[in-house]
Amino acid sequence: MTLLQAVKNFVRSKSIHVCYVDVGSCNGCDIEVLACLSPRYDIEQYGIYVHNNPREADILLVIGAFTPGWEDKLRMIWEKIPDPKAAIAIGNCPISGCLFDRPHTLIDPPAAKHIPIAAQVPGCPPRPTEIISAVLSVAPLVFRDYEVAKR
Amino acid sequence: MSGYLYQNDLSSMKLAILASTRHDRMVREIASELGIPQIRLRKRMMDRFDMLLLENLPARYEQGMREREQAPRPGRELGAGIYTRAVPLILEDDMDAIAGKVRLMIAEGRPHEEAVEAGRAMIRELITR
Amino acid sequence: MKRTVDVSIPLGPVHPCFKEPARIKCETRGEYVIAAEVELGYMKKGIERIMRGRPWQEVMFLAERVCGICSVIHNMVYIEALEAMTSIPVPERAALLRVIVNELDRMQSHILANFSYCYTIEHETLAMYLLDIRERVMDELERITGARVTCAYIVPGGVRFDLRGEDDLHLRAALAIIEEEMTRYLQMFATGPLIALRSRGIGILTKDAAREAGAVGPTARASGMPETDRRLRHPTYQKIGFSPVSRDEGDNYARIMVRFEEVLASIGIIRTCLDLLQPGPIRGGGIPGAGEIAYSGEAPRGELSYFIRTDEAGRVLDISIQTPSIMNIEACCHAMLVGVASLADVSSTFVSADPCIACTER
Repeated sequence: MTLLQAVKNFVRSKSIHVCYVDVGSCNGCDIEVLACLSPRYDIEQYGIYVHNNPREADILLVIGAFTPGWEDKLRMIWEKIPDPKAAIAIGNCPISGCLFDRPHTLIDPPAAKHIPIAAQVPGCPPRPTEIISAVLSVAPLVFRDYEVAKR
Repeated sequence: MSGYLYQNDLSSMKLAILASTRHDRMVREIASELGIPQIRLRKRMMDRFDMLLLENLPARYEQGMREREQAPRPGRELGAGIYTRAVPLILEDDMDAIAGKVRLMIAEGRPHEEAVEAGRAMIRELITR
Repeated sequence: MKRTVDVSIPLGPVHPCFKEPARIKCETRGEYVIAAEVELGYMKKGIERIMRGRPWQEVMFLAERVCGICSVIHNMVYIEALEAMTSIPVPERAALLRVIVNELDRMQSHILANFSYCYTIEHETLAMYLLDIRERVMDELERITGARVTCAYIVPGGVRFDLRGEDDLHLRAALAIIEEEMTRYLQMFATGPLIALRSRGIGILTKDAAREAGAVGPTARASGMPETDRRLRHPTYQKIGFSPVSRDEGDNYARIMVRFEEVLASIGIIRTCLDLLQPGPIRGGGIPGAGEIAYSGEAPRGELSYFIRTDEAGRVLDISIQTPSIMNIEACCHAMLVGVASLADVSSTFVSADPCIACTER
């Protein structure tokens, strides 16, 4: 491993920028992601920053069962995120559609049909601690030695 | 004419809003009062209103119906407040013109019901045009 | 409607300040907003369509998930509508416990709304203080109901759990802390000169415009309409006795202050409930039957109405939900946003109405 790669690994482990996108949830998971910002959970101590801007994000949190309004837009957001990147599905909705996936519904789950999902956090809604631990455990798997793995 | 870069066709989603029970009831009531086909009325609503206004239509309609009781005649029978402010299907100026014509007809000695019916025909023509 | 405009600036659907996706298209002259149009459809799940033809037990969980922020009130209004339809009695203690949980839910929702507003006007310190105190309210909610969000606490004829052990002592202690802190934050907000610059006289909603759009909740009460509080017509609240908060400036500042004051009022209501609690049963049981009803309750954002029709087996044949956000966002976008002087105020005015897109679209 080169020195450059070591520096990259170190820097990436201490700054994970997160963008969340709500593709049709009930708001419960949304608010639990927001609660992660609170001083009690304090995600910035782990080096996670919530910017909500896809162009400077590393990790995309996908919340909600997939609604028709997002048909091409979710992919557009995913393509705007620079490499290396990963998407995490928060809550039951992007995994299976949860209780919205019934006859006569308008949604189109799972989110994995539309963009590649790296990790899933089940729960309706999951606790803020679970969300933080998911981000922290996915980040090293994707970002460590990214250039080496790509080669 | 400026277009949007990411503009989708919204008509199917607008139709999904109008398909709910309360919206359906409201559309039926308006259509039967004005005597126009429901499908034309829905089309007019989908063309003119943004999605938020569409969602709020039943509440606005009920509020407009409550205020209709106090409105002066012949605006009350024509539904002047409802069709211009609560459910803005036609412009306020057009409605004023129609109400003025109806008032003139009544002054000329036409029976009240007949004059209002003529006014409704004018509204109908504006909406289905 | 197709129109030709000078400058049209779209905000969203993904926007750093909005929690949820909505697209606001502002027609502007320079930065001065002349008209705004909102495009929805990013959250439409068709919950009412799913609900039709399902047994009431399933609809109960779906009703809760109309909105994840104010889930308790959706549960409460739906169950109370079923109870009023088939006249199921509710034990005294259960009615008071419902009010306690509902007020805790209202507190966390209002604190979250104020957090969003402070975050949008870039007063991050106050925002983080508020988010921290919200966690205390969530703790109490979790202690009583067993879950932070979507707790399904209220069932026909009562509630699921009683207060256990020293729950009421914990609740009283937490309320004391929350009251002290919220009073401090209220002072910070009320007297902050920079906050006033961003909030006073911006996004004014007049009483007439509020009435025309049918605005409800804190948005209407900030425009001088205290009679819109549905709690005044709820039997348990009538017994406890409380007076609604109202202001008449109708600007962003008034809307946030109304929420601050309502949090303090909610603390008072919970204390009264705890005083009134007598030992007794919490669950009488009862099965909903056939009927048709329109029932309303006061959600944190305003009046929430359910129109339900069921058959003998308790299946929901027809249901229609009117959530407060529909009226409030409509009032916000077609009355408040018009005449806003700059684009920075568009997002803060939009957030000050406490928009909940999930409620609006269902």
